[in-house]
Amino acid sequence: MMNIALIGNPNTGKTSLFNNLTGSYEYVGNWSGVTVEKKVGIFKNGKDQLIDLPGVYTLNPLSKDEGVVTNFFLNEPFEKLLNILDASQLRRNLHLTLQLLEYGAPVIIGLNMLDVAKNRGIQIDIAKLSESLGVNVAPVVARSGKGCDELAELVTAGAVGTGKNNLVYYGKAIEAGILELENKLAGKIKHPVRWLALQLFEGNPYVKNYLETILPIEEIEKLINSVTVDQQQNADSKQALDQVIHRKRSEAIDKIVSAATTKQENKKVPLTEKVDMVVTNKFLGIPIFLVLMYVMFMLTFDWLGFPLSDALDSFLSGPLTSGITAALAAAGASTFIKDLILDGIVAGVGGVLVFVPQIFILFFFISLLEDSGYMARVALVMDRLMESVGLNGKAFIPMMIGFGCNVPGIMAARTIETPKERLMTILLTPLMSCSARLPVYALFVGAFFVEQKAAVVLSLYVLGVVIALILAKVFSKTLLKGETSVFVIELPPYRLPQARALWRSTWDKGKGFVKKAGTFIFAGSVLIWLLAYAGPEGVNVSMDDSYLALLGGIFAPLFAPIGFGTWQASASLFTGFLAKEAIISTMNIIYFVPDEASLQGLLAAHYTPLAAYSFMAFILLYIPCLATVATIYKETGSRRWTAFSIAYALVIAYVLSLVIYQGGRLLGLT
Amino acid sequence: MLGKLKTGEKGRIMNIASADKFVRRRLLDLGIAEGSEVCVKCILPFGGPVMVESCGQCIGIRRKEALRIEVERV
Repeated sequence: MMNIALIGNPNTGKTSLFNNLTGSYEYVGNWSGVTVEKKVGIFKNGKDQLIDLPGVYTLNPLSKDEGVVTNFFLNEPFEKLLNILDASQLRRNLHLTLQLLEYGAPVIIGLNMLDVAKNRGIQIDIAKLSESLGVNVAPVVARSGKGCDELAELVTAGAVGTGKNNLVYYGKAIEAGILELENKLAGKIKHPVRWLALQLFEGNPYVKNYLETILPIEEIEKLINSVTVDQQQNADSKQALDQVIHRKRSEAIDKIVSAATTKQENKKVPLTEKVDMVVTNKFLGIPIFLVLMYVMFMLTFDWLGFPLSDALDSFLSGPLTSGITAALAAAGASTFIKDLILDGIVAGVGGVLVFVPQIFILFFFISLLEDSGYMARVALVMDRLMESVGLNGKAFIPMMIGFGCNVPGIMAARTIETPKERLMTILLTPLMSCSARLPVYALFVGAFFVEQKAAVVLSLYVLGVVIALILAKVFSKTLLKGETSVFVIELPPYRLPQARALWRSTWDKGKGFVKKAGTFIFAGSVLIWLLAYAGPEGVNVSMDDSYLALLGGIFAPLFAPIGFGTWQASASLFTGFLAKEAIISTMNIIYFVPDEASLQGLLAAHYTPLAAYSFMAFILLYIPCLATVATIYKETGSRRWTAFSIAYALVIAYVLSLVIYQGGRLLGLT
Repeated sequence: MLGKLKTGEKGRIMNIASADKFVRRRLLDLGIAEGSEVCVKCILPFGGPVMVESCGQCIGIRRKEALRIEVERV
């Protein structure tokens, strides 16, 4: 078995290629930084492993996701590298390739996006490119999979050349420095010294740390200083080492590229630029974004999603339930089993599954945003607003993804380069209303706000965003002061989303929801039902005497000032910590009803519209779910920040609900 | 200064040294350095970022950084 690492610049189609080569499915999108962690898949030959790494421009990292790649090179074993290049940006892509060749592992190059290059009037002589680098170069179309089989052959077949590792001569001073490091390290390490030395001189902090485990710090510092001084004396310029190294590489690349490509002037304005003139327009940019969001919500909650969910609900509560009832009767099941299945599992799991259509519609739109290339434009358009609260436009991407699910949203924050902004984004992304909260809103607006369904739900999403922005401002003025905010974003060309890729991306996000319904919610429903079935006085007690009522009753008075001081509400809030949609399961079980419509009827007796809105706002903010808390801990590596993310959310939620409920009452609302 | 160019105007980068260290490095990663030809595609309102094209790729940077990058009109 071989380990083959897939590496390349951001947004060159690595993950698409990974999916095609391994037949697995990973998350793809058209913006820089979709992959933030390495992922492993097995080649279709069933033997070798392919490792998908986050996209990097160079091996000297600036952000955390880029650091994953450097760490991989320093600490993990692999046999070959598969370097994917964007043919339309060959110069920039080759900077990374040169570093890979310096590393000295066997490399194969997949040349992607030849069509984009052609549209721009660039013709590439593949044979010549291959010859000047000394490695195999194969053309591929990563999105459609064309050429992937040939590439897989090439990569997994026996021996592969290591290419030329001396394509660049860095000048006397640096080359002497490389030799000196070689002498110091002789026999002590397995990594190629030329590569280590160049990364060190470029200022790669990971490589420096690694070398410090082998050599004394003073010796390393001394070496860097002496090379810097020599270089500046030799060249009679004040350029820093990293600039010199970059320049030398650029010169070598220029030679390679001009030998291997021919360029014709192409005066046609690309479609991407025409679209950009509209969507990033001075006046239209933000309105267009808001209109798109509005259409997305109307389709999800009103025009399309609602009738579909309704149809599914009547199927689940009608034919399915009577089918199960009949089957149970025929099997001669006991009353206990019958109650457990119908009132526990069917009510709990079914209550969540009803919302699958709406959730898939939402995920479809998020996938569409990601796949088309619009996401990066949103970040650009929003940067001014985000800057004013101490974040940058890139933080908007994790938040948008957070609308689907907070967990990948928080992971996506890795692409934010400054630690302070990344931490803020991690802390604030849970305020984005994820798809699991959607069923709760759908249920309550169906019961209380039939006329303005989409508007009320939209108001909650907006509320989440507004609170996040206000808190960002507060945090950046108090807890997380200092550190300047920076923003550089790559705006990839638009791509027409492909139906297949879109569907896979939607399914990939949505299946998590369905899976959770089958596992977490299933188990939770059984537990809740049992807690509601048994009480201190035995089993099959009246619900108000059950353990669940007892537990909920302890906390109920706390919630009275914000409008929902019933034991049912507090019991469901507890389960909501496990997964937000569990709130719905719990309510279905507690209120003991067969379908969504009758639950809505019942709710009207327990909540006023004002209390319902207060409840929804509380659900929006009160706590990140268990999976999100685990992710926050993993990403921040800090118990304190994790605890903080829970505590501040609880406080904000309570205060806001209090304001809504008591304020609303003062204004005479009910 | 790059930040002074109007939409549609082109320039060549003369000096990038006074831009933020991090911005400079990222631009370098993207292949934009002294000597690169750039074209302002779009300027967002309220002092928002500028969208700049160079060698067929588009990037967005903040206006205040663009104001620290010296260009000559071409």
